[in-house]
Amino acid sequence: MIEFAQVTASYDDDLAVLHDVSFTINDGDFVAFVGTNGAGKSTTMRLINGLLKPSAGEVLIDKMPTTQLKTSELARKMGFLFQNPDRQICCNTVREELLFGFSVQGEVGQAELDRVDALIEQFGFNPDDEPYLLNRGTRQLLALASIIVMEPPVVILDEPTTGLDYRECEKVMGIVRQLNEGGTTVVMVCHDMEVVGDFAQRVIAMTAGQVVADGPTFEVLRNSEVLKAAHILPPQITEISLALNQNCAQLPLPIAQANTVDEMVCALVDVEKGGF
Amino acid sequence: MIQFNNFSFKYREGIEPVLYNVSLTIPDATFVGITGAAGSGKSTLTYAINGIIPHCYPGDFYGEVFVEGLDTVESTLTDISMLVGSVCQDIDSQMVSTVVEDEILYGLENFGVARSEIPARVDEALDAMGIADLRERSIDSLSGGQKQKVALASVIALHPRVLVLDEPTAELDPASSLAVFELLARYAHEHGTTVVVVEQKIALLSDYADMLVIVDDGHIRFADSPENVLAHSDELLALGVNCPRSTTLMNELSKRGCYSGPAVRNVAQATEALMEVLA
Repeated sequence: MIEFAQVTASYDDDLAVLHDVSFTINDGDFVAFVGTNGAGKSTTMRLINGLLKPSAGEVLIDKMPTTQLKTSELARKMGFLFQNPDRQICCNTVREELLFGFSVQGEVGQAELDRVDALIEQFGFNPDDEPYLLNRGTRQLLALASIIVMEPPVVILDEPTTGLDYRECEKVMGIVRQLNEGGTTVVMVCHDMEVVGDFAQRVIAMTAGQVVADGPTFEVLRNSEVLKAAHILPPQITEISLALNQNCAQLPLPIAQANTVDEMVCALVDVEKGGF
Repeated sequence: MIQFNNFSFKYREGIEPVLYNVSLTIPDATFVGITGAAGSGKSTLTYAINGIIPHCYPGDFYGEVFVEGLDTVESTLTDISMLVGSVCQDIDSQMVSTVVEDEILYGLENFGVARSEIPARVDEALDAMGIADLRERSIDSLSGGQKQKVALASVIALHPRVLVLDEPTAELDPASSLAVFELLARYAHEHGTTVVVVEQKIALLSDYADMLVIVDDGHIRFADSPENVLAHSDELLALGVNCPRSTTLMNELSKRGCYSGPAVRNVAQATEALMEVLA
């Protein structure tokens, strides 16, 4: 469990970038942090994995303050996927990259080798490929695989789909969803509201270093005051549904509440058939 | 005008060509959005416009590429740079100065712009990108969105006829991405500049581009107005290009006989069309 209790944080003593932030993320949650550049999302991630300590308040990981935990202890609990995989990849082959975490911990036995082989098969990697010669999407998948091979209970993803094409995005997020369904807690920073709407169960919206909304994904993304305060646009179908709500009297409920293409198509086809 | 005539290119270290037999005409003052799956050849297409191919990345170049009448093989990179301004995906790799104003001055001085003309050019570029207040700021202190605007300002100060941008909003939040596209579209229309943008965010391209180019496995599959391209959402999905959800919605309704208008480009058009359907 991750708990923020009235956390304030700064990189410079004079300039707080997070102000009085409180929330709890339970085991197995899939939470997306949304907001503009500079809202404090990445700072929040650094506080979770202990790279930054709060200047006031407490960040608790499984009830222990991060100020009392070593970075190495936190690293075993948290896998962190950087926005740019090139800041993460450091080995000469795909296999070495996947074994790197175990090597650092001095734990390369048969079980670890088997786990790496299983992931190589799952992701469809060539174990002898040189990581820097792979395309961006495959490097992102490799960085993700190098984290999940360690089976951390929490995975933190900083903009996991940036620069990926549609297929790569679906592949990365499909694997993340599988992880979450297996019990891994997923904490994601994401600007792509379609991805947020498709995958996250809960959204925490931030602006100017503060949390402005925390709730089920579409409860937050349908709240016009929150959208305005956090300067975010909802997923397109949600936006259409909200606009129709504003402009059409007596809008049928399924249209007024639609958030996906399928939901909206079904609702509109029913209207055409005179189902309301 | 930008003209590709039967253009193919294979990088020297490559086994297969990256682009095959491309023929494409981009009229002056067109806002072109290029998209496609990773590795499809879309960045290579832009390298052929700004002369990086063949002048920086050698390889087997077949056919012809003309920019404003200039043959990009026969011309020097300097000549092409006078016409084509480029902004890289990795903004930090493009910055050469530590202060915003110096970054804009760098290009102007290197292009030999008359000293008397430089202050007006700097003011104009800062104003066009809405960053006059950043003039004396250290580049290190800027956000990703601000750096993006500085990079654009430093290029448009050179008055290029063509602007080439590779994923200019990759690291920006939606509001900043929208702001960059607004600025680009406004600048292009006011100055008659051709803008060529490679971008994965197809919702932005659909909304702002005059022409959408879909590259797949080295071939141009579509090059047409957004409405005409977006009408093929199923084919695009098969190529790894997911249309904006507003487009997909209306295309699905069209298949079911609930909508008969053209493909929509954005949420506003979809909402307007649906209000007619519901009326």
